[in-house]
Amino acid sequence: MKKSHETNATPVSRGLWADAALRLLRDKAAMACFAVIIIYAAIAIGSPMVFGDWSAAHDYNHRNESPSWQYPLGTDALGRSVLVKVFLGAHVSMTVGFMSNVIALPLGILLGALGGFFGRRIDDFVVWLYTTLASIPGIILLIALKFAFADKVLFPGSFFELDLSGMAGVYVALGLTSWVGTCRLVRAETMKLKELDFVLAARATGRGNLAIMFHHIVPNLMHIAIINFSLGFVGAIGAEVILSFLNLGVQNLPSWGKMINEARMDLIVGRWWELTAAAGATFIIVLAWNIFGDRLRDALDPKLRNV
Amino acid sequence: MSETQSPLLTVAGLKTYFPVRGTPLGAAPRFVRAVDGVDFAIGKGKTLGLVGESGSGKTTAGRTVLRLIAATAGTVTFDNQDVFSLDNKAMRSLRRRMQIIFQDPMSSLNPRMSVANIVAEPLVVHSGLSRRQRKLRVGELLERVGLSAQYMSRYPHEFSGGQKQRIGIARALASKPDFIVCDEPVSALDVSIQAQILNLLSDLQADMGLSYLFIAHNLAVVEHFSDEVAVMYLGRIVEKAARDSLYALPTHPYTQALLSAIPVPDPAAASSRVRLPGETPSPVNPPPGCPFHPRCAYTRSVAATLDKKETVSIVAGGEPARIVARCTREIPRLAPLPDDPSHYHACLLKQG
Repeated sequence: MKKSHETNATPVSRGLWADAALRLLRDKAAMACFAVIIIYAAIAIGSPMVFGDWSAAHDYNHRNESPSWQYPLGTDALGRSVLVKVFLGAHVSMTVGFMSNVIALPLGILLGALGGFFGRRIDDFVVWLYTTLASIPGIILLIALKFAFADKVLFPGSFFELDLSGMAGVYVALGLTSWVGTCRLVRAETMKLKELDFVLAARATGRGNLAIMFHHIVPNLMHIAIINFSLGFVGAIGAEVILSFLNLGVQNLPSWGKMINEARMDLIVGRWWELTAAAGATFIIVLAWNIFGDRLRDALDPKLRNV
Repeated sequence: MSETQSPLLTVAGLKTYFPVRGTPLGAAPRFVRAVDGVDFAIGKGKTLGLVGESGSGKTTAGRTVLRLIAATAGTVTFDNQDVFSLDNKAMRSLRRRMQIIFQDPMSSLNPRMSVANIVAEPLVVHSGLSRRQRKLRVGELLERVGLSAQYMSRYPHEFSGGQKQRIGIARALASKPDFIVCDEPVSALDVSIQAQILNLLSDLQADMGLSYLFIAHNLAVVEHFSDEVAVMYLGRIVEKAARDSLYALPTHPYTQALLSAIPVPDPAAASSRVRLPGETPSPVNPPPGCPFHPRCAYTRSVAATLDKKETVSIVAGGEPARIVARCTREIPRLAPLPDDPSHYHACLLKQG
């Protein structure tokens, strides 16, 4: 049989996830953004291995040079290549973006699903927790946490040793403060889902709460989780830039926020390249994640199916 | 009719109230009286049609019977077991025998589950079948409801409304139940599909000896389907009779109004539609006396022949009306017709 466009007679069926993947593959803008994200991820993983020890890379013969063939993005006040700094900054940003989501998403989904499903006291507690958290301005809470984390090492000596004074502190603080949005969405969606007839049908057939959660609620929440991952990534990159700008971010590693901080006085004297490079690197990844997240939501939303 | 055999399902004095969230200042607790004292029984292999407008409590009644909603009062007896007093374990095994089919085929199937998993869910809970055996059984069930077993690996969004409803029926049949609550199973489907689904349901009943509680807002649908029909208004049954008796001799003014609303496929037929003024009153604050009195045409016509002392004036649906005073004072009870003891109605004036 010829593979023309789909008809109702196609005997092979695709699952919802495969269907969403196919929609994304056909979407040029989404694929372009996905490519950008993959390139950034590759740079983030590769650059620390390629450029190795950064602290000794001073070169006082090439300070504050404008872009040239040798230094495509110029050099900074210590004669270091801005391009290498941007690459190493990607490592920090992508790690923070990923790790803070790894903490925030499960927290938001767990609390939101529990509160939405069981209601009453559990829900009261969840709502109290996130409204309290949301009532404190995010960036101030983040700064306070980061101060509290100074010199803190979790589980010292064990495999899970976590030095909260450095980058780990940034993503733990971000993870602990950025789950509220996911939690709200998940809670509302759970409250909607648990009233739907298919949940009632599962109850009518004798399924318990756990089975209903696992088989009927959580699979229907996954699209929210995935979309929030892409949105949370953007937020985390932005927050890392701000923290680093305030000297509360990572130490001993270049980051886009630190570059912007160091370069802010340079603009007056006409040295535009460091600020532009860091801001541009941030801009492109944020744009790519935003567009990709948007297309992802369209692809995963069951309501937009079959249109 | 065999009087000796006890019915499969008996519902007595069933009440389901939902609390209305009060003001912070603590106003008197109020309740939505969704189901307010309902009695009926369904024999093995029989169908009871439960009819009423939206908001009459028919869906809540069906779900309360299955203990999907907690009852406020009353008892449900299924095969000599008191459903409301069973512990979790006993209830779970009883659930195998009682199933439900929903109105909205869209929301009754989990969009993230394949048809095979949807239909197999009752088998996972209630049967000791292996994965392979379950798959075979799902195939049989799909064929039984008129779908191809090949559809097993598909997802709900790939089906039409009628096909989804068939999948819902296959799921309800999976655990080999004795009793199914059909909660407006055809209301969301278009007319040509309605007939197919109704025929399927009655074939299944004949084959498997199923008992149905068939909930609908359309008396015409129920007529083809039921052995007995109960009409609900504002949480109460206002008339209950064998199908033929109810359609031939509708007694309660509300039943008469509902029956007159069935369209007749004959343009020349004289239309004698009974108009109901206003809307269904709020079940939080039902009218005193007979809950139907603000909309009742019969009490108006009787009031016109009575002395002024025996009538009161009310405003219903924005229009003033004179009705019989007794209708606002006494709460009517179901009572049989003098010449047909199986035909019950709850009209004060007609009971005399």
